[in-house]
Amino acid sequence: MIKRAGPHFILILFSASLLLPLLWVLRTSLTNKVSAYRIPPEWTEPIADNYIAIFTDQPFGTFFLNSLIVAVGSTAIALPLATMLAYAFCRFNTGGMPLRLTVLASQMLPPVILVLPLFSIFLTVGLINNHLGLMLAHVTINLPFLAWMLISFFEGDARIVEEAARVEGATRLQAFLFVAVPMAAPGIVAAGLLGLILSWNEFLYALVLSGKATATLPIGLSALETHRGVEIAMLAAATMFSITPVFVLLPFLKRYLIKGLALGAVK
Amino acid sequence: MAHIVLDKVTKSYAGGVTAVDAVDLEIRDGELMVLLGPSGCGKSTTLRMIAGLETISSGDLYIDGERVNEKDPRDRDLAIVFQNYALYPHMNVARNLGFGLKLRRVPPAEIERRVQETARMLGIEALLKRRPAQLSGGQRQRVALGRALVRQPRGFLLDEPLSNLDAQLRTTMRLELIKLHRQLGATIIHVTHDQLEAMTMGERICIMDGGKVVQVGPPADVYRNPASLFVAGFLASPPMNLLPAAVVGSDGGGLAVRVGATTLPLPEEYLQAYAGCRDRSVVLGVRPEDLHEAAPALPQITVAANAVEMVGPEVILVGTPEGLETEASARLSRAFRAEPGDRISLGVDMRQIHLFDPATGLAVPRPDLGFEPHRR
Ligand SMILES: Nc1ncnc2c1ncn2[C@@H]1O[C@H](COP(=O)(O)OP(=O)(O)OP(=O)(O)O)[C@@H](O)[C@H]1O
Ligand SMILES: [Mg+2]
Repeated sequence: MIKRAGPHFILILFSASLLLPLLWVLRTSLTNKVSAYRIPPEWTEPIADNYIAIFTDQPFGTFFLNSLIVAVGSTAIALPLATMLAYAFCRFNTGGMPLRLTVLASQMLPPVILVLPLFSIFLTVGLINNHLGLMLAHVTINLPFLAWMLISFFEGDARIVEEAARVEGATRLQAFLFVAVPMAAPGIVAAGLLGLILSWNEFLYALVLSGKATATLPIGLSALETHRGVEIAMLAAATMFSITPVFVLLPFLKRYLIKGLALGAVK
Repeated sequence: MAHIVLDKVTKSYAGGVTAVDAVDLEIRDGELMVLLGPSGCGKSTTLRMIAGLETISSGDLYIDGERVNEKDPRDRDLAIVFQNYALYPHMNVARNLGFGLKLRRVPPAEIERRVQETARMLGIEALLKRRPAQLSGGQRQRVALGRALVRQPRGFLLDEPLSNLDAQLRTTMRLELIKLHRQLGATIIHVTHDQLEAMTMGERICIMDGGKVVQVGPPADVYRNPASLFVAGFLASPPMNLLPAAVVGSDGGGLAVRVGATTLPLPEEYLQAYAGCRDRSVVLGVRPEDLHEAAPALPQITVAANAVEMVGPEVILVGTPEGLETEASARLSRAFRAEPGDRISLGVDMRQIHLFDPATGLAVPRPDLGFEPHRR
């Protein structure tokens, strides 16, 4: 017990630093604006008013729907492309290391640099304030990450198993679809979840490219900081509402990542 | 069934590695050919080129008379069993077996029938619903074999399929493969680096070294007449003794081999063949079983015993012949006893010896007198 006290103490501090702000937001979301700021904090009966207000006074239902459409749509476009890209990198060494790095390098630039040209292009082709436009913008963010994440899932044993399939009568496409993809399935699911989360949380592109009708949750949250001050209680409620789906998805992401990595190790 | 011909088949990789170097090899219809060689000699690469998984850098590959260099693996109608089996991890055993048939649009009822039949033949009916991860190594090996058999291809390529099994299972599976080969009369190319497996399984064995074929022939021929020092030293365990020696003239116009302090007269039948070696240094090759204890009728060589190993039915004596640094081993009867340091006189069956040219490493050709037990 004594021996483990040290590590436990550090872990408790660490967990607290992660959890306390979150719990604070939770408590704020259940109070009103006035008592939210009171120091020292006082006990108030939890109220659900804020959670109702974000749907009645504010269009958070729409924001949620927009986020959902864009996240699902962009992942649905990015995931198959990333799968094929990772496969091509892995099996055919397409473009070699330079191409692999170039794909990732685009994500190492500050996003502001990319979003302005994107804005002017989208303005020309009429994709501003448009679900499809934001989806495509998010694809440009997701695709490199998902592809890089998937590369390792196509390496190793899958290569030989695919060769076995090709000798058995599979075309390259059949070997990809019936062998490589099922074998990489846990990785593909994990990549899909990551794509959803990345898109769900994305702020800058959404801010620049969306309009009133297509604003996503992060934009909605920022809109609560009005010129009349911050609607702190409502903001807290909206924040809790926004991060809930991510909390639901995270355990799955972890599970499939581990499953995928473990599968790769089995002969 | 398939007749496979390799004509100067070469595989070079970028970076200047030549994995397979101008291999000429013919595998007859219905033959079980074993590719044998040390690790890295190009056996797998050769097999993969035949399967179509590796491009051929130069040379031609013919199956049943047709040049197939550019043919897709799926159109070659061969089956391959990999060293680590490469089963489909996401399918159960039944689907693993049936996958190839499904790809070839065989009707489901027919697939079902053939999967059952193959499973029965290999004794894996009880496993059909399991995933590969739920099988033991031996069971996976059977499934991999079944997957090859179920399609009834014209040829089988087996890349060290037994190497992951324990010794006992390997012996059983070896016999089963031989039986299967007899039943089906299929063309089989079996890759191994286990010389015992090669000797017992192959109708012919092809010995490879450094990407080149060094000798092809029935196991008994290759064993009796190794073409080079490499083959002599590679086959059998313990391998042929290879001792530095010289050919000298003896009184009465004969020839003799001088090994260290010993001079061994060559049999008359070999005089002509070995005449060219006179007064030259050679490597003398003697199999351990051609050295005999208490055989006064044979020319004698004296060795200082270094170790005496009991191996079940026989005793292996390892000793240093007089005047030499090199060790030699002898397979003696299990009654033989000696202590390290003892000097032991052994009879050499000179009709079974070989001479090799130390410069080229090749055997000096001589007539084969066949085998008859020496007279004690
Ligand atoms: N992709 C590659 N690039 C370069 N060299 C390679 C490549 N693949 C194989 N080699 C080389 O080719 C040679 C033959 O390899 P191969 O796998 O055919 O050997 P092997 O006889 O099957 O050996 P083992 O008994 O260990 O399986 C080796 O020296 C290996 O290093
Ligand atoms: Mg190999």
